[in-house]
Amino acid sequence: MSPRIAVPVFPGTNSEDETVRLLRDCGGDAELVHWSRASHLAQYDAYVLSGGFAYEDRVRAGAIAAHDRMMDAVVEGARGGKLVLGICNGAQILLEAGLVPGTASARKPTAAFARNAPYPHFVCRHAFVKLVQPPSRSPITAGLAEDALVPAWVAHAEGRLAATPEHLDEIVRGGHLLFVYAHADGRVDDAAVPNGSALGCAGLVNREGNVLAIMPHPERDGWNFNHLDRRGEGDVLAPSGGAALFRSFVAAVS
Amino acid sequence: MPMRRSNNPARRRPVPPLVSGLSGARNVALRDDEVQRIAQRLGREPTIVELHAFDAQWSEHCSYKSSRHHLARLPTSGKGVVLGPGEDAGALHLGTHDGERYAVVVAHESHNHPSQIVPFEGAATGIGGIVRDVLCMGADVIAVADPLRFGRADRADGHARYVARSAVDGIGAYGNAIGVPNLAGDAYFDEGFDENCLVNVVALGIVKESELIHSFAPKGAEEWAIVLVGKATDPSGFGGASFSSLTLDAQEAELNKGAVQVPDPFLKNVLMRASYRVFAMLREKKVAAAFKDLGAGGIMGCSAEIAAAGGYGAEIDLDRVNVAVDGMPPEVIAVGETQERLLWVLPPDVVDDVVRIYNDEFTLPEVAHNARAVVVGRVTAQRRYVLRYRGAVVMDVESEFLTGSIRDELPYTEVIRHAGPAEELPAVDVESVFPRVLAHRDVASREPLYRRYDAVVRGCTVTPRGAGDAGVLAPVPGSRLGVALAVAGNPRYGRIDPGYAAEAAVLEAMRGVVAVGARPLGLTDCLNFGNPRKPDQYGAFVAAVDALARAAAELDLPFVSGNVSLYNESASGDAVPASAIVACIGALDDIERTVTPGLKKGNSALLWIGSRELCAGGSVLADVLGLHGALPEISYAGERAAVAIVQDAIARGVMRSCRAIGGGGMLTALARLAFDAMLRGRSVGAEIEFGNPLCEAGGFICEVSDESEIDLAGVLRVGRTTHGRTLAVNGVRFDLDRLHQIWSSPLAEIYP
Repeated sequence: MSPRIAVPVFPGTNSEDETVRLLRDCGGDAELVHWSRASHLAQYDAYVLSGGFAYEDRVRAGAIAAHDRMMDAVVEGARGGKLVLGICNGAQILLEAGLVPGTASARKPTAAFARNAPYPHFVCRHAFVKLVQPPSRSPITAGLAEDALVPAWVAHAEGRLAATPEHLDEIVRGGHLLFVYAHADGRVDDAAVPNGSALGCAGLVNREGNVLAIMPHPERDGWNFNHLDRRGEGDVLAPSGGAALFRSFVAAVS
Repeated sequence: MPMRRSNNPARRRPVPPLVSGLSGARNVALRDDEVQRIAQRLGREPTIVELHAFDAQWSEHCSYKSSRHHLARLPTSGKGVVLGPGEDAGALHLGTHDGERYAVVVAHESHNHPSQIVPFEGAATGIGGIVRDVLCMGADVIAVADPLRFGRADRADGHARYVARSAVDGIGAYGNAIGVPNLAGDAYFDEGFDENCLVNVVALGIVKESELIHSFAPKGAEEWAIVLVGKATDPSGFGGASFSSLTLDAQEAELNKGAVQVPDPFLKNVLMRASYRVFAMLREKKVAAAFKDLGAGGIMGCSAEIAAAGGYGAEIDLDRVNVAVDGMPPEVIAVGETQERLLWVLPPDVVDDVVRIYNDEFTLPEVAHNARAVVVGRVTAQRRYVLRYRGAVVMDVESEFLTGSIRDELPYTEVIRHAGPAEELPAVDVESVFPRVLAHRDVASREPLYRRYDAVVRGCTVTPRGAGDAGVLAPVPGSRLGVALAVAGNPRYGRIDPGYAAEAAVLEAMRGVVAVGARPLGLTDCLNFGNPRKPDQYGAFVAAVDALARAAAELDLPFVSGNVSLYNESASGDAVPASAIVACIGALDDIERTVTPGLKKGNSALLWIGSRELCAGGSVLADVLGLHGALPEISYAGERAAVAIVQDAIARGVMRSCRAIGGGGMLTALARLAFDAMLRGRSVGAEIEFGNPLCEAGGFICEVSDESEIDLAGVLRVGRTTHGRTLAVNGVRFDLDRLHQIWSSPLAEIYP
């Protein structure tokens, strides 16, 4: 039996269907696990936390969900080495749960994805994220090329990495900064950062490399029809673009 | 069931003197003659609950009493129509995938008055309501759109800016949270909307045609259960329907705040997903049911209509309604317009399963205080609408008298078709004027506004809003079918000629859909006009309906859904600029054939396909230069020919890029094609020669790879694309980066 991937659905999650669809189109055995079936989560081999507004983003994005019983299995699994990918709200939850960067004990956050700056509004725009660690830094990115550029959509109001100077220093020294915002040609500068994120951070990984939190949505630019101008190989319905990260994730799970 | 007089508390309630007292009371819009008519029909004085019920049902908002007989002139049928107007949403045949016929469900409404007073909540509940209209047809909600008309938001501290910002934030907050992409929309800023903004909303859904759910109790529904689902009923939104049917008066605005509903997109997110689960369960069990949004008139309006539309009556026990606070009077429970509620009519054997899905599987009571699904009543064979409260009957009327069409034949002044002077256009200094056109409030980039909206959730977006003249989605996973959506309605035209503006709106929306390579399927409209009791303002409405009917007939496009919003006028009694706002829905058999954004390659031919009449009337150019002039003539034959040429070029595979010519004229459309290329990393410019490229005559500007493939009759070659970031017009060279900066800046002031 192939390893099974769970996409947990919290009240307020809104990107679960396309996340499961792209995982499946990339060869993964993925399914939704609804909050009323939280006790089933432990039996899965890997987790993808999808986008949305779990528990209405009350207090801070991801703050309530991080302490939901749904997260017990995810935290336990992450400690045991299971692969966990969090996208947007999923990423916010992973930071709030302290799994990423994971420099303190579990459920003690040392960084957060905070309100965008300088303007605090929700921003939806296309972006590229650049891999700034060796692909082998995380099994989840092991299938990507060196310096890989992954297309994705930014769609959040709280995506600015915020932490104390000491914790930011830890993030850099520990190689936790995995993805930064970049231009289409790979250049990295402030203009590429949509939200004032510290270090231009778009994605963080934990020390062990098995938990990855990424703010922009690769799955929303994950099929040829999402980007007919830049289409990759194959049919218009075939996965491409942002699917590269999902393929790499599925390969690492398998 | 006959009313028992002895223990009926409502009967003992002191009913104020019938005529002057009640109809003059605050938030009751019933006229004196209407109250008399009710009393006569009942053979007694109406109860308080009944008065409020009729107040809601007979409001303009619910009854369309002064518009329905005019709307009957709109064409609503055709081979693509799966469901015409009459239910909560219409439906059009999109195409077939895997042997299944799919329909696009579409609804179009306004939320103008609430948005003027509490813009965040007003606009958010606009999205919330329109989404329910599509959801209750059994459809997956796939997109929303928001045609917006604001006042002078360029003034930093005015109320208009507050409205413009907060309404947009409300739309974003709601749509983003429920996970429905914003696919299309437009925005105009005009002093005519300073005191009365327009917030129109459109929603699209996708459903297998065999699985549509209707909003009327089906055959054999006697004694079926009526199940209320969603948010606990609270006192918010009491009097909303009649509120929408009064003119806004700044002094009353504060008093009316209680009539505005409170949005809860978090609950809606869960409610939508729970309803999808219920749809699947009902399909599995092959059970018929009816589902309807609670809108104007609350529990009473919805349950009365869902029953009466099937030829039944209903009996509702108000004590079973899940309420947020105790002690609400029965009329508030019955007609209050608390958001996030829907109503099912279900056969008894599936009731427990449905209630379990909402309450246990999707834990509604934990998601929001006392939210749940609850059986509140039953469908009855007698055609009476009965409400009980604390054991007594508080309302007992003929259901068709309550919901049936009442009609106000109001006098109106015939609007004289505008015939401006056919003046010669002055020679235009493109070098100085074009930047002013690009920076005009009706032309400047809308991106600062719509980037606050999620454009891509659901992962189905092919062309997001702004990148083309219509947004394009691939709504059926695993299928190549595509759906396109564009909206239009130009208040500059509306000020000059309401009928012309309505026709132009149909044409502009249709061209938008054609420009992305889709086949127009049908239309929706929202008619935003002034006071029907003022003959000139009512005349503008009548002229617009006639014009929509003419345009739809000429283009063979049916109207499948729509809405009327009257009483849009300022305190001084001036109506808003005549605003027939139109949406056009298009289909693509194969999303691969869509025309993608932006110029593609240097040295392609640039063709102007369609009307090139050089008139300035109503144009941005006229506004910039302070000109008045004739409106460009509409030629439907010319329009159909232009569409055929564009569609043929796409079918032959020679169309590289295309934009419809609208505000700011051909040169603006061309600049936008160049901007779209630039944003995608392609440096493609253009070089053109044309007398006055800022006229808004209509037609399309097209980049084609091979002119020989095109029938050049009716087509003008205006130039070619070039390598590099310049736009050369009649020898004047513009730097594209600079033009983009000019175009992008103005709205960033309002939406930083």
